[in-house]
Amino acid sequence: MIEARNVTKFFSIINEDRTADGITAVLSVSLTVEDGKIVSLLGPSGCGKSTFLEILGGLQAPTEGGVYIDGKQVLEPLPSTRKEMEAYRRKYRFLSPLANSMFRNRPKHDIAMIFQDYAVFPWMTALQNVTFTLKLRGVPRREWEDKAVVYLRKAGLAESLSKYPSQLSGGMRQRLALARALAVEPRIILMDEPFAAVDALTRERLQDDLLRLWGETGITVVLVTHDIDEALYLSDEVVVFSPNPGSIRNRFIIDVPRPRRRSDPELAELRSRMTSLFKYDINHESEYSI
Amino acid sequence: MVNRTSIVTPEFLAVLIPLLALWEVLPRLGVVPRTLIPALSDVAVTFWDMFANQGFLVDVGSSMAKFLLGLGLAIVTAIPIGVLMGWNIAVRKRLLPLFQLLSPIPPPAWVPITIILFGIGLPMQVFLIFLGAFYPILFNTYQAVKDTEPRYLASARVFGASEFTLITRVYFWHALGAIIMSVKTGVAIGLVMLVIAEMYGGRTGIGYVLNEAKDYFQIPKMVVCMVTLGIIGWLMIEILKSVELRLAVWKVGR
Repeated sequence: MIEARNVTKFFSIINEDRTADGITAVLSVSLTVEDGKIVSLLGPSGCGKSTFLEILGGLQAPTEGGVYIDGKQVLEPLPSTRKEMEAYRRKYRFLSPLANSMFRNRPKHDIAMIFQDYAVFPWMTALQNVTFTLKLRGVPRREWEDKAVVYLRKAGLAESLSKYPSQLSGGMRQRLALARALAVEPRIILMDEPFAAVDALTRERLQDDLLRLWGETGITVVLVTHDIDEALYLSDEVVVFSPNPGSIRNRFIIDVPRPRRRSDPELAELRSRMTSLFKYDINHESEYSI
Repeated sequence: MVNRTSIVTPEFLAVLIPLLALWEVLPRLGVVPRTLIPALSDVAVTFWDMFANQGFLVDVGSSMAKFLLGLGLAIVTAIPIGVLMGWNIAVRKRLLPLFQLLSPIPPPAWVPITIILFGIGLPMQVFLIFLGAFYPILFNTYQAVKDTEPRYLASARVFGASEFTLITRVYFWHALGAIIMSVKTGVAIGLVMLVIAEMYGGRTGIGYVLNEAKDYFQIPKMVVCMVTLGIIGWLMIEILKSVELRLAVWKVGR
């Protein structure tokens, strides 16, 4: 179970004229994700949903509040007083708070993450990309290849084992990222607009791939998207974010049974309600629209 | 992208052959004084004579050995230090200012003090070559490692990568193209320092022969030395290109 309690993220900016400014990217967001669910974070760009996802994954420390995975805190919040700041600096002088360890490969939490722009390593073949993550998770060496091949096959990349990412299409690269994430058999998978960079047809196929693999493994998925249809088609719950500052605006439980039809009237009904939400935002002079 | 092209193309030969012909014909016809600018055939004869009878091969070998020693020393020190500086801000803050203060000193300015410290001979020459190659490799490695795309680091970290794994499997590979480029720069500056070092102190090497030829006004001999140096530099770049092709096969694509 993932629990976010009052997560706030504030970025300070020093302007060119040396005045200070700040942006509240995420303001007091609390969210609980039950095991085995697919939850979408939906919102226009710039609403803090990606920042929030990175905080969930431990790639950024929150300014205030905390994220707990099965009761264990992901990253301590940033210091707020001068004294705390000095202690924090001393503690993390040589190793950043994001680092796992100096020499031992060990994940802090049982999470895998998929990024919008794939982030598969271009200097490794498809097979090496997957075996590398297996190595990081401490899977014994003799199991690497078999396991990697199994997941690459599931992702439809059986013929591309020794190809480099530059030789794969965008959709294949994202499937590789998916295979890489699933191969470590995580309990939670975080996805940051995973299908935004591929064409519409590929996107639909990838969504179905995700649902199939999710059905086979029963993992928890938190998905950031700005695509209402994607959120409706995939999720058990849609959490709508609004910008300035990024906060939760509304939640929708979607109990339409799977497999869903994209043209389901119930989904269409939900869709129009969500769209009106965004329209309301636009009328109130939001900078962003969807 | 790595680009592999042969130097001997018909297009280039169409330029090279007339140039070589002019080099041969102009001094022979007396258009330019033959005593100052020797004809191609004079140089070729001297070339053969130097390698066959004057033991020039020993000088070439000695120069190559010094050069490789100095360059190797620069590679094995500058790359690790550069990687460490790019990887960690704490290391960077402690070391970078030092190198930023030292690097603007032109390497040839180190010659006098190096001669006094090391005496005339191999250590001094190797040190000067090392000095020439060190800074470009260091700064380029550092910069490239520092500019590693955060998303690659993030994705490795989420899977549990230790800092050591990040360095060996992510930072280094991301910076590899820039590192090889910087070694090419190191080769160029290292060759400059080789010639300077041999001209100032030593009893062997191409630079020494070059300087000696100047004293005896043996112009063909000087030209042979220059051509040999050019060939060595070109060979080194070609070797690096094939290393690049081998290591960075993922960049080539198909």
